[in-house]
Amino acid sequence: MIKKLKQTISEKILLIFVIALAIIFFGSFITIKNKCLFVKDYDPKKINFSKPKNIAVLNAYCGNVIIELYPNISPNSVERFKMLIKSGEYNDVAFHRVIKNVLVQSGDLEFGKKNNLNYAYIGTGKSGYGTIKSELKKKFDFKKGTVALARTDEINTEDSQFFILLQDAPLFEGEYTPVGRVIYGLEVLKKIKYDEKTEYVLRPDFINYFEMLIN
Amino acid sequence: MKFLKIILSILIFISPANANTIFYLIKIPNLEIHHSKSMNGLKYLKATKPFNVGIRDNNVSCFNSSEEDIEKKMHLIEKNLNRYSSAFLNKINLKYVVLCENLTVSQINTAGVPNPKTKTLIVDIKFNEKHFERVLHHEIFHMIDESHKEKFLYEKWESFNNPEFKYAECSTCSDRLGLSLLKEDKGFLTEYSMSTPSEDMAEVFSFLMINKKMIEDKASMDPILNNKILLIKNNILKIHKNFNF
Repeated sequence: MIKKLKQTISEKILLIFVIALAIIFFGSFITIKNKCLFVKDYDPKKINFSKPKNIAVLNAYCGNVIIELYPNISPNSVERFKMLIKSGEYNDVAFHRVIKNVLVQSGDLEFGKKNNLNYAYIGTGKSGYGTIKSELKKKFDFKKGTVALARTDEINTEDSQFFILLQDAPLFEGEYTPVGRVIYGLEVLKKIKYDEKTEYVLRPDFINYFEMLIN
Repeated sequence: MKFLKIILSILIFISPANANTIFYLIKIPNLEIHHSKSMNGLKYLKATKPFNVGIRDNNVSCFNSSEEDIEKKMHLIEKNLNRYSSAFLNKINLKYVVLCENLTVSQINTAGVPNPKTKTLIVDIKFNEKHFERVLHHEIFHMIDESHKEKFLYEKWESFNNPEFKYAECSTCSDRLGLSLLKEDKGFLTEYSMSTPSEDMAEVFSFLMINKKMIEDKASMDPILNNKILLIKNNILKIHKNFNF
């Protein structure tokens, strides 16, 4: 006859500890593996927009970033931006410059495409449509989520590259041309791959697609 | 004292750079906005920690000042810099004024470091208390000169001086550092004017901004100085026809 053994209190505590450890281990494994776990993916079709014609949806690894464009602030730049979005030029383009909690930059159509990534020149590429003039005169609050066109050290050199601010940058007013603001999904941008040591990312994340809500 | 300097230098190097959006705009770390609503659009930034910048070996360094020290000087700085209109500042590529103290270039103390490329002027708020206001205009001239080099040709300027006079090779390779007004009438306003053509021009400009009548009177008895004043005035007016000295 087998004698039934009763667990002591210390054995019970040990068992609970081992189970908790296992939960923490597997839980963190899943969390680390899935960087998008706590990022809300917004469905633009389920949101009512007051100006749907000015809504653009950028889809990245963790979901949708919904951007409202401001043609009344920077008409020419928004026109260029919309044209590039509508023609699908931004699809599969790298987030080549990512500075943690500061900004993400993309839109190098020449050297930043997924199938033609050129690490030597990324960030210097052009769209082929020529540069446009900076639109800096109107007042604009460069707060977190602002989408603006990037340029070289000189003004009037905006082309296809753009950046999105992850922190307020009041001094950017009058320096960069704003084209819009993220209204949903800024968390998606915070999950884009970055490198602590350098602004330029090796094996970067890409824009899956970038489209206007209404074409 | 030397030991203290070494310790401070080490501290500068180990202080982590605070990379924020200001850094990405003007390439100077550890800054924050002090005041950005000036009447001519100048944005005043202050150092929150010591910083090192520079094209060669980060040779420009400056230390953060206390809030109290900045406030003490702010009214003087604004009183003088508000004399430049936003249109003029635009033409000389000046938008950001960085306030800090113990500013050095290659370990030599200096009042200001202009950089038209980043539209920035770094100002040592504790440099020469006696001549502080005039020094501000002196540094503004360096912004003007850097942005419009073609208008301030050194050869022409040197031709105004007596033929036997020679400037030093650079502003810091001479011991002509005095900023007080000289009594002699040989075309120079201060000892520092004799260091280089650029510093000479900056001295003339700064006196025009601070004490125009006095140096114009002086120039009436000093033809060399008179030529120099005319060149500065004419060229500044070519840059901005509504400029008020």
